[in-house]
Amino acid sequence: MKHFVWRWLAASSVTIATLAIALACASAARAETRPQYGGTLHVSMRSAPGSLDPAEIAQADSFTARSLTLLIFDTLVTMDDSGRAQAALATTWQPAANRRCQFRLRRGVKFHDGTPLTPEIAAASLRIANPSWNISADADSLVIERDGTESELLAELALPRNAIAKRSSPNKADGTGPFSVTDWQPGKKLTLAAEENYWRGRPFLDGIEIAMGRSYRDQMTALELGTADLVEVAAEQSHRVSLEGRRLENSEPIELLALVFAREAQSTEDKLLREALALSIERGSIRSVLLQGAGQPAASILPNWMSGYSFVFSADADLVRARHAREQVRAIPTWSIGYDANDPVARLIVERIALNGRDAGLSLQPSLQPTTGATADVLLVRIPLVSADPWVALADVAARAGLAGPTKEERSAEGLYSAEQALLATQRIIPLFHVPVSYATSAALKNSPVRADGIWRLDDAWLGNGKP
Amino acid sequence: MREAVYNSAILDAIPDIISDMATRGLRLTSSFPHVPVLWMMFFVATAAFAADWSVPETQLARKIAAVTGPGAVALTVENRSSLNRRESEIIQNGLRSALEGVGLRFVPDDQAAAAVTISLSENLTSYVWVAEIRQGANESAVVMVELPRPEGSTGPRDSLPLTLRKIPLWAQADPILDVAVLEENTTPTHIAVLDAGKVSLYRMQGGKWQLEQALEILHARPWPRDLRGRLIPARDRLLDVYLPGVICHSSSSAPLALNCRESDDPWPLAAGGSPTVFPSAGAIDVAAGRTSTATPQTKAFFASTRNFFTGVLAPGAGKFTTVPKFYSAAWLPREKYTLWLFAATDGQVHMVDGVSDQAAKLGWGSDFTSVRTVCGAGWQVLAPGSGDAAEDTLRAYEIPDRDPVAVSAATDLPGTITALWTESRGDTAIAVVRNRETGNYEAFRLALACSQ
Repeated sequence: MKHFVWRWLAASSVTIATLAIALACASAARAETRPQYGGTLHVSMRSAPGSLDPAEIAQADSFTARSLTLLIFDTLVTMDDSGRAQAALATTWQPAANRRCQFRLRRGVKFHDGTPLTPEIAAASLRIANPSWNISADADSLVIERDGTESELLAELALPRNAIAKRSSPNKADGTGPFSVTDWQPGKKLTLAAEENYWRGRPFLDGIEIAMGRSYRDQMTALELGTADLVEVAAEQSHRVSLEGRRLENSEPIELLALVFAREAQSTEDKLLREALALSIERGSIRSVLLQGAGQPAASILPNWMSGYSFVFSADADLVRARHAREQVRAIPTWSIGYDANDPVARLIVERIALNGRDAGLSLQPSLQPTTGATADVLLVRIPLVSADPWVALADVAARAGLAGPTKEERSAEGLYSAEQALLATQRIIPLFHVPVSYATSAALKNSPVRADGIWRLDDAWLGNGKP
Repeated sequence: MREAVYNSAILDAIPDIISDMATRGLRLTSSFPHVPVLWMMFFVATAAFAADWSVPETQLARKIAAVTGPGAVALTVENRSSLNRRESEIIQNGLRSALEGVGLRFVPDDQAAAAVTISLSENLTSYVWVAEIRQGANESAVVMVELPRPEGSTGPRDSLPLTLRKIPLWAQADPILDVAVLEENTTPTHIAVLDAGKVSLYRMQGGKWQLEQALEILHARPWPRDLRGRLIPARDRLLDVYLPGVICHSSSSAPLALNCRESDDPWPLAAGGSPTVFPSAGAIDVAAGRTSTATPQTKAFFASTRNFFTGVLAPGAGKFTTVPKFYSAAWLPREKYTLWLFAATDGQVHMVDGVSDQAAKLGWGSDFTSVRTVCGAGWQVLAPGSGDAAEDTLRAYEIPDRDPVAVSAATDLPGTITALWTESRGDTAIAVVRNRETGNYEAFRLALACSQ
């Protein structure tokens, strides 16, 4: 009996001590601390841009490339989390007559090479990115003339591709951003250093090293080995990564997965077959199985958090209607469906879509996306929505799909709905999913929020183990 | 077919909504918990809310009627937005009334000429109310209205020998660095609010804060990130302002002006500047038979491009003229020495008694301060307790030897602490919190009261 009591006491003591230590550790770990200065952040990314110029990097568009641009360059305005424009390199703006808008530039801002920011340099930079805009420099301000509303212009100007760059030679673009380039090996590695005199205040980090062209698997290995602090995670891997207890940051569903037809519908039969394909796709099961629950099935171009009405477009499969549409067509062509060989889940999705299509009586042949020569009849594409502004995003998707831009008679939810409906009515594009962008981070990285639009901002990030 | 959402009694709903709105109004507007102000805001909020919904309700009803024409419809309303249940019920009632006003009658599905599904949805900037209208075998028609989303909020709530009270002083969207109470009767009547660009002076008039003057802070260099600053009332002028690399003195007479200059001069660690005796401390000390406590004169140099003190002290704490770089400091007078606590940038708390420097991990975070009270040992440290990352809690501690002992319950704060400074009077502190839900910066006066 005595023996039992002693054992009980010993066990209780150990339990209590363990709990006390655990509580103390939890307490210490969770307490808030001010941001710390110092340290080098290591980032890995899949894309491998050959240029840092904002106008060129946009050609290899990805969320990481956009994020990278905003580390080195600034835009005239930025958009906050509520979609409202905020002053950046432009301190104020004022609409003028004839679709013109005047932007007054912030004083005292310098490019990383020491050159002061002037309206002339800013105008030259924006002209390269937007040849159709009429841009002029006027004393300490810029005047921009273009079609569209003021809010669209502001959303456009906040895009990374419209960041202000000073191009001193064909291969060199300087920015005014929070970090300057110290080493650049195109497509491989980029090393950045904090700008001590950055107009928004020196970033907390001393520097950032970015390894490019790394596969998702290599990135995750680097994170596990402690050689990377911030890595991309494929949407279909995000659930597993989360279950492993890793820190995961997700954007709003901002990437559109869609089927895009290479050509416009040629006939009524062609339209009926496209309708049959759209109705046959079981988005729910593709999401559950292939995307591992990531993203949202979509029959709209814009996600609901941007438009507010996407649920009006039903994403449910309807095989009866699909077959009915297909039965109205006599000759069934075989469509090739192309996909990106570097996209790990694309082939599986395309194969599943081909099966769904066959159930509706369609003939679909998966094929690797050709880089040259003839293109596939239909392509599975990932479209990183360019902006959280729905009009700008819709116009960009239309351009990528080879469609005319949306009509902008009325900038309202109803007007947006009509414009989107008109784009979908062309049957050139079949939306499939809206997927968030996911990043895994090391425990040391603090305050690296991923914005709703998928861009990570590192100028306010800091490393918990950094030495001030 | 989706199930219809039926209305609940409005009379039941109103009191909670009113209370919600009054709470929201209180937090969105900087104000005191004065009863008249509360009631005024309550009525304003009520009126504003009613006006907000009735316009879009009518607009949507008209658009629906334009499609269906007058007649019998089956109505379903779904809330797909961040509107709470009661708000959505109010809107449902309003929509039904508006639809009836344009000639629609509500009937079950099988008797309806049209089925109308209204979704209360939202996007980044607006509420979007979408009506899908199905009439027979026709393709459904879609009509919608949008209205701007207001910024929302909710809030906090509040034993051990001491009770820590927080009294709202001021709230604004821009980061508040410090607030100084310049005059007060039973409650503050004249305050100064420091932010990155100015010192704003507000005076309480007719139960409302009125802007009296805004004094611009001129500086040549960009501010560091995580900007910090202090407002310290001065004897021969209204106040001094300490910012990284910049010190400003106000003029001594009206009209007030602020003269700022680049300076790396050290910041006073204990507010009060000159060797003052806290008014309350002196009185209490006499009663308690203790000696009066003078404010220590120790100052510390602040890194002009960072968010911390360099660790260099002038004059030193005993033999220590340098300590590790730190974010904040608190001081506790002892019989023969002053115990200094420094929140070092390495996450440790350094306890410096003038002879030794003892470091410990207390899990307090990086902002703490000390206050003089009539309770307990007479001096307490106010430190953020362990909460989750999004919201801090604040608690009072005493340090009989080297181990802190909690002497108050943890007080919830609506977000993370961005500034915590002792007021010049010494017995209260100012905490600035970034509200997790609204994003606004809210300044509170913190006061300890003896529970028994």
